[in-house]
Amino acid sequence: MTKRTTFKLITSMVLVMLLIVLTACGNSGTNANPKQTTLDFLWFSDGKEGEVIKEIIKEYEQTNTKVKINLIEVGFKDIQTKLKTMLSGGKPPALSRVTDTGSFANQAVDLTPYVDNADQFEDQFIDSLKPYYVINDKLVAAPMDVTANGLIYNKTLFDKAGVKVPTSPDQVWTWDEYTAALKEVMDKGGARYGMVWDVTPHRWSTLLYQNGGSILTEDGTAAAINSEAGIRSMEQFKQLHQEGIMPESVWLGGENPNNLFRSGTVATHWAGNWMISNYKDITDFEWGVTYMPKGTQRSSVPGGKFLMAFKGSGYEQEAAEFIEYLTSKEVNSKYNQESLFMSPRKDSSVLNYEFGKEMFEIFADELKNSSPLAANDWSRQTIISKISTDLKNNIVEVLSDKATPQEALDRTAKLINEAIGSQ
Amino acid sequence: MSEGQRLNKNTLAKQNRKLVIAPYLFILPNLLIFGTFIVFPSLLGLYYSFHVYDGLNPMKFNGLDNYIKIIGDREFWSTIGRTGIYAAIVVPLIYAAALGIALLLAREIRMRGFFRAVFYWPTMISYIIVGLTWKWIFGDSFGILNHLLTVVGVEPVGFLTSSFWANTAVIIATVWSRAGFFMVIFIAGLQAIPTDYYEAARLDGATGIKVFRYITLPLLKPTSLLVVMLTLIDAFKAFPLMFALTGGGPGKDTTYIVQYIYEIGFNRQELGLASAMSVILFILIGGFSALQFRLSKGGAT
Repeated sequence: MTKRTTFKLITSMVLVMLLIVLTACGNSGTNANPKQTTLDFLWFSDGKEGEVIKEIIKEYEQTNTKVKINLIEVGFKDIQTKLKTMLSGGKPPALSRVTDTGSFANQAVDLTPYVDNADQFEDQFIDSLKPYYVINDKLVAAPMDVTANGLIYNKTLFDKAGVKVPTSPDQVWTWDEYTAALKEVMDKGGARYGMVWDVTPHRWSTLLYQNGGSILTEDGTAAAINSEAGIRSMEQFKQLHQEGIMPESVWLGGENPNNLFRSGTVATHWAGNWMISNYKDITDFEWGVTYMPKGTQRSSVPGGKFLMAFKGSGYEQEAAEFIEYLTSKEVNSKYNQESLFMSPRKDSSVLNYEFGKEMFEIFADELKNSSPLAANDWSRQTIISKISTDLKNNIVEVLSDKATPQEALDRTAKLINEAIGSQ
Repeated sequence: MSEGQRLNKNTLAKQNRKLVIAPYLFILPNLLIFGTFIVFPSLLGLYYSFHVYDGLNPMKFNGLDNYIKIIGDREFWSTIGRTGIYAAIVVPLIYAAALGIALLLAREIRMRGFFRAVFYWPTMISYIIVGLTWKWIFGDSFGILNHLLTVVGVEPVGFLTSSFWANTAVIIATVWSRAGFFMVIFIAGLQAIPTDYYEAARLDGATGIKVFRYITLPLLKPTSLLVVMLTLIDAFKAFPLMFALTGGGPGKDTTYIVQYIYEIGFNRQELGLASAMSVILFILIGGFSALQFRLSKGGAT
């Protein structure tokens, strides 16, 4: 090889490398067709809602030929990081499905000027959801579905043990009755464990509200988790582990509670209503939904999934129009009915589900009978998202005997107060 | 100077210039990637470490506050301590395993290539996959090990729910995934030892253990040093394997420093504080590297 060709070879190599780096850094979302608008839509799926949304998008694109929706699907665990990366990198998606509205409120498009009448728009949805999507008087998101925590049980195991579950709200167990029932299902029904509980402070807090406690005070200005009710909840949770009613492998070993319930060896699973669609394919045993037990009161924890458009995407108008379309009665009902979710719309509370209609009624009843403090706590997303992992870690510290309930909750309270102070 | 001589000189100068530029052009692609993905983010991290920043909202300068906060953060120091203990156990284990395998596989034995491949293979798998694979083995309810224990009538063990067993699982997985890589370095080191030394020793009647102690081990010193330093640095950077295997649990028992930084940055959304912690970790690892450089007399390993 002559020196000249070597030189040419090196120069072309460098140019190719440069091109690769520059392309990687450049905007890959540029639309080839100037007449068509492409909206990047960040999405995660818990069950089959991904399939349903694709169908809805197809229908939307047929009537709005100038808009193309580019659905970017990521796992639920990754959506927060992906969205943050896109936003901090200056390439926000046009819109996203979010659970944590508080973290992104400053980057969200205020939908107020895009909807005909903001008050009327908000009035369509369940009132308790409002603090999630109206932040600092701005309409930063729109609800897509509402969730509730509830109790899924293995009917086959309960039948084998001859234990009956409550079938109406006036038969609701007390916690003592519930644990006695679980022990019986373990003894006579052969269940390995009485219950599994998702490893999230959100699900854990169900017990807190049932005991009359809360994470924050009603006005949200201070921590309330280290109250007597909080300590009682923590002790109760630990006792369930000590008595072998709950496996340590879930909260301490990171084992997936869904898999344990699916194995048919667990009597009950404390989960969210989205598990109905997830468990739909279980054929090895029969399962159902029953009422959660009560402490000093009954309570579930409401939650929801929201749609948010982002500033700086260049397609704010189109994204807002698409959000209005997705939250309209017809489309939203179709979405929730087919995905086996609950609608956040007041006028769609009763949907004609092809599966588990009676189960949804129980979840809806749990929501109706929830402590108002539950929605009050969890709608303050800017605080909750900052302390959620620490709360989980502190619960685990109690379970593994590294802290007393009081110590763990005092530590959590301190972090909560710090988070409030930094607002 | 004649016309011919001048022309000749010009061509030579041109060629010399090319020779000077060429090496830089060769390293330019690497330099570009190194600059874009290592140097620039590192400097950005240093900049963040003096700010309050959640990754989304405008950052606020807060001077040395993040560093002062770290000094008082008990959790940070106990995580460093936990990482130190992990390193103190894992480094000698990897060293012994890698050297042991290398000694066996440096000899002329049957199917040597096959065995070398078997030990090297785990190093090619990503840490996440290694973690998940060992989770299937150690898993409490669905793990193979507990299944086998139940089959032989032994009560299942909470491998991932007890602090001792979770740490043991993490250490076993780490040694399994790294020993093969250092085995290759040791084999290269062993092959670099002149055979005359061994022949001379044997003529003098030295036995296997003595040969190893007085010839192999001293002559492997530079390689050993390199292996110890690299495994030490690896241990302080450990994260994905335990993230997949134990999630840092039970509690925080297998949460090492990088995972702690990750949690502060991404779960608590304190990127400035997390960056300051990364700077401290960088200084710590930089210290190990400097020590290695010094002990190996200027990098001549």
